[in-house]
Amino acid sequence: MTSIAEKLSCSIVGIAGLGGLGSNVAIALARAGVGRLIIADFDNIEQSNLNRQQYFIDQIGKSKVDCMIENLRRINPAVKVAGFRVKLDADNIPQVFADSDCIAECFDTASAKQMIVETVLSKMDKPIVTISGLAGYGKSNEIITRRISPRLVLIGDGSRGIDTCKTLTAARVGIAAMHQANAILELLIDEIKA
Amino acid sequence: MMRVLKINGQEKTFPDGKIPATIADLLQQLRVDAATVVAELDGQIIERANFSNTSLRAGQSIELVRFVPGG
Repeated sequence: MTSIAEKLSCSIVGIAGLGGLGSNVAIALARAGVGRLIIADFDNIEQSNLNRQQYFIDQIGKSKVDCMIENLRRINPAVKVAGFRVKLDADNIPQVFADSDCIAECFDTASAKQMIVETVLSKMDKPIVTISGLAGYGKSNEIITRRISPRLVLIGDGSRGIDTCKTLTAARVGIAAMHQANAILELLIDEIKA
Repeated sequence: MMRVLKINGQEKTFPDGKIPATIADLLQQLRVDAATVVAELDGQIIERANFSNTSLRAGQSIELVRFVPGG
C-alpha cells in the first residue's frame, strides 16, 4: 500500500492565479509535500495585495510567479515548481496544465472563474476545485466544500463577492484557500493516486 | 404531466406549467448573468456559447454554478 507521502510526492497540481487563493494554496500544498506545482499568473505584486497574499514587502513590484517560486523554495526546496508568467485563457489552459493531476481555480473575477471551469470540464479530463463566495469577514462556517460532479468541487458561501462585500480579508480568503488545498489533498490521496 | 426541472438538487415546478425552453431562458427567468455561470445538464458540461441552443425537458437535472468575484 502506497503511503500518503508517496502519493503526494508523485502528484502534480496546477494553480491558476497566484493572488489571495493561489498564493495560500501553493504554500499549503508545498508544505504538505506535493511533488510538483504548475503555477501561473501574469501579474506583479502590489502593496494592496499584502493584506491577504503570501508575499513580502520587499517583493512589491516583482512578478508573482517569480516571487512565489522563491518563497516556495525557502519553504520546501524538494517541491519542483514550473512557473508561467502568462494570462491564462481558454486556448492556453489545456497546454499550461497538461501534466497536472488536478487544477485549482484561484482567479478573482467571476468571468475568469467561469472561463477556466468551463474550459477544464469541456476540454480536459482532470478535476478542478473552484471557489465562489469568500469576501468579507466572519461567517466562517458558511464557507463549505461541495462535490458538484465527479470532476467539479465547489468551495465558498456562494454569495459573498467583493462586489457586494467591498472587502477581502486574509482570514476569510485564507479559510476558502485552505478548503481548496484540503479538497485537493483529498482528491489526490483518495482518488487520483488511490 | 410532470413539469419539473431539478435545479441544483432541488425540484422546481414552473408556475405557468412551462419549463423554460433553453438554458439561456432559464437563467433569464432566474435573473442570473450567463457570463458568471457554469452549467451541467444531466452531468454533461454545456458551454456558455451553447446556452441559447440547449433545450430543456421535464425531468432533467441541471447544476448551475454561479460565480461571484473575489480571490
